[in-house]
Amino acid sequence: MKPATSALPDVLRGRVAWIFGDDFDVDLIIGVENIKYYDADKLRAVCMKAFDPEFVEKVEPGDVVVGGRNFGYGHPHYPPLVALRNLGISAVLAESFSPGFWRGETYNGMPLVTVPGIATAVRRFDPVEVDWRRAVVRLPDGTELTGNPPSERVIKVLESGGSLNLLLREHGRHRTPAES
Amino acid sequence: MSDVTQATATTGTALTVTEKILARAASLGEVRPGQNHPFRPDYMVAYDFPGYTDLMFKQMHDDFGITEVDDPERYLVFIDHMLSNRNEREEEVHDVTRRWGEFYGITVHEGRGIGHQVAAELGYALPGKFLIHFDGHISGLGAFGALGWGVRRDLLEAWVSGRIFLDVPASMRFHLTGSFAPGVDNRDLIHEIISRVGADGCAHQVMEFTGPGAENMSIGRRQGLCGMAMFTGAVSAIFNPDETALEYARRVARTEFEPLTSDPGAAYTATHEIDLDALRPRVVLPGSARSANTLGVDEAAGTPITRAFIGSCASGRIEDIRAAAEVLRGRRVAPGVQLNVVPTSQLIHRQAEEEGLLDVLREAGANVAISSCDFCFGYARPLQPGEKCISTGVLNISGRMGSTDADIYMGSAYTVAASAVSGRITDPREVVK
Repeated sequence: MKPATSALPDVLRGRVAWIFGDDFDVDLIIGVENIKYYDADKLRAVCMKAFDPEFVEKVEPGDVVVGGRNFGYGHPHYPPLVALRNLGISAVLAESFSPGFWRGETYNGMPLVTVPGIATAVRRFDPVEVDWRRAVVRLPDGTELTGNPPSERVIKVLESGGSLNLLLREHGRHRTPAES
Repeated sequence: MSDVTQATATTGTALTVTEKILARAASLGEVRPGQNHPFRPDYMVAYDFPGYTDLMFKQMHDDFGITEVDDPERYLVFIDHMLSNRNEREEEVHDVTRRWGEFYGITVHEGRGIGHQVAAELGYALPGKFLIHFDGHISGLGAFGALGWGVRRDLLEAWVSGRIFLDVPASMRFHLTGSFAPGVDNRDLIHEIISRVGADGCAHQVMEFTGPGAENMSIGRRQGLCGMAMFTGAVSAIFNPDETALEYARRVARTEFEPLTSDPGAAYTATHEIDLDALRPRVVLPGSARSANTLGVDEAAGTPITRAFIGSCASGRIEDIRAAAEVLRGRRVAPGVQLNVVPTSQLIHRQAEEEGLLDVLREAGANVAISSCDFCFGYARPLQPGEKCISTGVLNISGRMGSTDADIYMGSAYTVAASAVSGRITDPREVVK
């Protein structure tokens, strides 16, 4: 059942592309008027405009975003994180996550790492290393913050690149004899 | 009005009602908070909505190759959204659902009202049962001593495997004493709780309501209260089934059931003591239900409104319709204000008609619509730019009920009705004595 290769590297390396505050409503990433779009060009055109108009030019693949307490509060839609993933954002590190958001994005295969203390420990563009299975974040000065590691099941989901891939492998009935 | 006691340690093998329900769903003797395990829900519930049920059925069939499900009676689909326009597009959406239901032998309930209410009326939400849905407002079924958990797209996991991996949640206890004063209800209670514990105060936990104040509360009020659990960060909310819940359950039960209750000495992350007699009406400012947006009605009073709405899975029950009628009897909805009232189910609609309540509302100038979710999510009579609405709907984010340039305030049915009469946000205690 274990995938031959993990969809995620063991350690994610990137810069902190943005730091959001507490109770952050992810719909604001693209603006509430755009929460029904999935078109990549449209999402790129509206992504993070309210925070930094040049965000899409400054971000680099592998970068992470950081949040405060209760990240994802509200009534989270999927397009905002699609927009961030399209830009190469590889993980969200936050003090804590809102349960509904956490479940929805874990399903989609986005590593959401709960790390108390992270919001005040980093500045924008700091390079960080994230051992997501252990919830350990290595800061630029070499110190480490340790958060709450995900369950074995969630690790499997993330290694599979999302729940759908994992479920297909576990419960799909189209399996060829070699795979079963 | 409130005292908080911090975490209590478990005494021996004492368990909460939530832990007992999940232990049973795992076929284990006991489970403990933090434990990750695959649980077998008694019912796996959905409402038909484009991008959700149509996609899930298609995935199950095309991607998973599943042409037959093992226990079709555990799958449950409601048609309660997109019923107001009666056009081809709506018919197409519902037809897809009907066809899949027929293909898999899954019951599709339609024309009965909002699923989170109808699931109770049809005897699915029985004490001790475990139900999941992609929509979090299924937590309202905690009124019956059932555990209702909104799992978003993970519902697919249960649909294709019969089980779902979850972390056993800890429980936070809300020990209620007294009873609601005139013009105050469960809606004020939930916003009072959010303003005290915060929008993540119960994150990843279950809210458990206990005490004489909980026992005094009617079933409809319990449903409205539990249905809003997600705005404290909770994954669900529950009452221990008492005679009120058992009487209801025995009347509607479609299967056998075995009620479960928390043991004395079960562990809670905290216990909040709340005196219902001391509660005052609450109003939530546009944006979200977070603490900073929650005010006493006096602080928001005077704000002019153009729209008012009583309905949704968290309101629109007979208690809410009675509250509206009590306020509107002999009064008129203010000129320039549109008041829409939507009973939560057809059964409630009929009861309200028989009690003469709907005539009172109509005579006051309210529009009474058939039961659906359509007003709450901006599908029926969407708000226009610049409008201000006061609502018993579940959500007041920008754009939820129509234009992103409209404002949504939230309050109880009493507060909404009183505001509809005066055309501005009004303390219902001015009319309800």
